[in-house]
Amino acid sequence: MMQSSPLNFRRAVMWLGRLILGPVFTYAGYSKAFLPNNHFWPWFFFKFSLATNIANFAFQVEAFKLLPPWGVQFVAHTLPFTEIVLGFLVLIGWQLRIFGTMLAAIMVGFSVVVTRAYLLHMNINCGCFATPQPINMEKVLEDAGMATLAVLMAAFAIIEARKPHPWSAPPEAVAATAPATK
Amino acid sequence: MNRRARVSAVGGLIVAAVLSMLSLGSGSALSAAAAAPQTLASIPDVDPREALGSKSAPIVMEVFSDFQCPACKSLYEATNRNLMDNYVNTGKVYLIHRDFPLPMHSHSKEAAQYSRAAAQIGKLEAVADVLFQNQEKWEASGDVDGTVAKVLTPAEMTKVRALVKSGAMEASIAKDQALGNNTYRVSQTPTTIFHANGQTFPYAGVMSWDILKQFLDQLLGGK
Repeated sequence: MMQSSPLNFRRAVMWLGRLILGPVFTYAGYSKAFLPNNHFWPWFFFKFSLATNIANFAFQVEAFKLLPPWGVQFVAHTLPFTEIVLGFLVLIGWQLRIFGTMLAAIMVGFSVVVTRAYLLHMNINCGCFATPQPINMEKVLEDAGMATLAVLMAAFAIIEARKPHPWSAPPEAVAATAPATK
Repeated sequence: MNRRARVSAVGGLIVAAVLSMLSLGSGSALSAAAAAPQTLASIPDVDPREALGSKSAPIVMEVFSDFQCPACKSLYEATNRNLMDNYVNTGKVYLIHRDFPLPMHSHSKEAAQYSRAAAQIGKLEAVADVLFQNQEKWEASGDVDGTVAKVLTPAEMTKVRALVKSGAMEASIAKDQALGNNTYRVSQTPTTIFHANGQTFPYAGVMSWDILKQFLDQLLGGK
């Protein structure tokens, strides 16, 4: 099996994906759950802030007219925290095949939904971050670009995982250092 | 610890540090208002005809709203009736309506003028109700006058039309907008400013009745 080069195109794309998509996803989830309402003390203020932020996000999800009410609530309550966790895991590169694939699937979903809203001339908020963002061609291209990067990152992570890591010693070097047996 | 694990750990620390900085240093511009304790007396430009409830209520709620805004409609429908019945009419909340028509809504300023004019003759609730309930219709047709006329008598409508035509409502709407922009830094509608226990807490966006009720009860409990 040919050893993977440490500086090949695939690894460069994987690094780019991790460094761009990881923080973007983490911030997107953070802003949905904890912004703009961020009075966190005392405890009931935190609950109210979190609840209103989630309610705002649910309102934005509902505006896409894709999901039933229970689906809207499910997405609103789970997606922000999923984004935070996935973004962090992709950034640190742990189990990139698995979590990178999950992130890519979500990113492709976002791109499809936003493109659909744009083609239907829906005058709604993107819901990507806490600040209102209109859905225009710029947003469609931005999401498509990130979805492409995410898919490439995940695909290359799967391919690279089948090759020995470039930092691991080649088999002949391992054999040369092994103690001799009688 | 091997090199990969070290790199991953450093990456995790960087993310944690960035998130911490974001949570401490950023946050809503609205939060700046919390530094200034407020009582009803210190809240500027309160038109009693745009307010409902008792002035001595322990909680004051200022709601910056746009009649053409779907989120404002959602908040109104989800909370207004229960809020009026359980908190405003029982003297627990003094509710102040603030007009904040957004520039992208072509008919919202006209709707604000009609509602403000209706408030002068004591018909704020009825007109606000009909405007929100029929939002999609008058948004598409632009017929704010016809919508308001559904709930007012011909004599009342004459007074309202005269007030709107005179331009007298524009100054007070501009004051509300200036208050929202300069004091509370309102960036979206609806934005609800809670004043309680000598402090001010702005909240942007919609909220469900259950959550709002819990919050109001906690504020009333002084916790």
